[in-house]
Amino acid sequence: MTTTADHAAAPLAGPVPRTSTLRLVRSELRWVLRRPRTLVALGLLLLVPVAMGVTLVLSSTPAGGSGRGGPPLLGAVIGNGLVLPIAALSITMMLLMPLVVSMSAADALAGEAAHGTLRGLLLAPVGRVRLVLVKAVGVLTVAALAAGAVAVGGWVTGVALIGGDGLVTLSGTTLPLGTATLRVALAAAWVAAQMAAVGAVALAVSAATDHPLVVMAAIMAGLILFTVLGGLSALDWLHPVLLTDGWLSLADMLRDPLPTDNLVTGLLRAGCYALIGLSLAIARTTTREG
Amino acid sequence: MTTAPLTAEHGVGAASAAPTPAARTSGLRKVYGRTVAVDGIDLTVPEGAVLGMLGPNGSGKTTTIRMLLGLTAPSAGAVELFGRPMPDSAAEVLPFVGALVEGPGFHPFLSGRDNLLRCAMAEPLLPARAGARELRAAVDDALERVGLAHAATRRYRGYSLGMKQRLGLAAALLVPRRMVVLDEPTNGLDPAGTREVRQVIAQLHAAGTTVVVSSHLLSEIEATCTHVAVMNRGSLVAQGELADLLDGGTPTLDVVTPDREAGLDALRAAGITARAEVGGLLVELTGTDAPTAVATLVRAGVAVHEARRQRTGLEELFARLTEDER
Repeated sequence: MTTTADHAAAPLAGPVPRTSTLRLVRSELRWVLRRPRTLVALGLLLLVPVAMGVTLVLSSTPAGGSGRGGPPLLGAVIGNGLVLPIAALSITMMLLMPLVVSMSAADALAGEAAHGTLRGLLLAPVGRVRLVLVKAVGVLTVAALAAGAVAVGGWVTGVALIGGDGLVTLSGTTLPLGTATLRVALAAAWVAAQMAAVGAVALAVSAATDHPLVVMAAIMAGLILFTVLGGLSALDWLHPVLLTDGWLSLADMLRDPLPTDNLVTGLLRAGCYALIGLSLAIARTTTREG
Repeated sequence: MTTAPLTAEHGVGAASAAPTPAARTSGLRKVYGRTVAVDGIDLTVPEGAVLGMLGPNGSGKTTTIRMLLGLTAPSAGAVELFGRPMPDSAAEVLPFVGALVEGPGFHPFLSGRDNLLRCAMAEPLLPARAGARELRAAVDDALERVGLAHAATRRYRGYSLGMKQRLGLAAALLVPRRMVVLDEPTNGLDPAGTREVRQVIAQLHAAGTTVVVSSHLLSEIEATCTHVAVMNRGSLVAQGELADLLDGGTPTLDVVTPDREAGLDALRAAGITARAEVGGLLVELTGTDAPTAVATLVRAGVAVHEARRQRTGLEELFARLTEDER
């Protein structure tokens, strides 16, 4: 009917054409970072420590410092600005940051499926395993930016509004500005790792549904359940496997010298969650209907 | 192997003699829970053909297309694209296949061009070292082809149904393909858009690209396709070349004549079934052929202004194939 010479496209023989992973990642990041809700969420996270700092400055009493009834660490911020970023990190990492991260994970697979764009990627084709890995890079980026936004917002507000000569640690020593800033960066990285674990689990849920809302609801419900279980002393044996159990050890960043035991354990725990979440996401995506 | 029960067996035979078809399925079956969506599909799409998939809603057209493209795993049976098994060979085959399946899918917050740019970045046939300019050129080219260049920078959110459909078509045409699969491509398009889709299909056909297009609009299929596959309730009830399928029905001859009474008498005397209609006669060509019928009329002194062999409309065929099950 037609001769092969007529064919518009090259024949199938020869090496398989493959999209460069770098281009896929670039495309994914551009998509993630241009999405209005990502930008709004990151902006709001940035404002959290600013609002905290302003509130503290306006309401601080000369005799303050006890932090009566307030969130943990907040009392320690008064007159000690560099505690603010770490206090803000520890507060936002409980619910706000997981919300932002799970939103981005929800958009990554379930949201694309809901828009019918996942089909386009599978038909391009982007291999299914590669697709999940590229999506994971996107979620990891949001996790890092979320922690970074809070840390930067807190650092700037702390230094500018509250000030203080270096960082007075919970152990009573004083760290110079440089070292203290390093501590804040370390704390942000640690929180980003925890959020990456949340994101990986959210990605697994995202791979199993076409409804982004389900992903966010599942992650929120999971976090609340973990917090409740973590509060029951009768379930002590269960606590080591709860992701949220080690999150309070962020306060260790404010001790001198830095006690690393709990922080490292928390990092390993997050790694396990990330690995399991990513594996489940890949397993589910390879069999899902496109 | 099941054979098509109706008129189309010769179509299957003819296709199997040809070299590797662009697409072939054998015993394809898909079950969702207790619902059998598609059952025993043996479809052959010759390379270079424009195959129209025709069938009422829920007849399994989209499910079949999804299995062709490896989006859905078959419950049983096999799919081959260009002689390679799907979905195992998806990575090798799909770069050469463009598709618009189940409506266009794009992000509302991006412009039409940015949406296509995102597709282009995932496209393996646009080489890894292709710069931003080359990608953009491919995108603008595709937008031009579907008549969307003027709306390229507008957000997808504000597109009309027809514009969305055009953008979906543009994504399928981003790079030259060996095969293009279009699921209901004229959905929501105005007459001008429908005509443009026909032109696009004709261009693809002229370039040697195999096209699979599904539609419930019979006129659409009749106007653009070389081959037809008719589906009903998950089964393939007929497939073959369009011309063969059209000849499968009761053939008739449309005769334009002012002497209707004389003509009827002459035909009846010769044992040929005919009936009068506005402006002439309709002669059934069962047991006789067109020259015999015309000769009979002329010998009887009936003025024949025009005689046209009437093909069975695809619509009639479609109705015949599906009506007994309703």
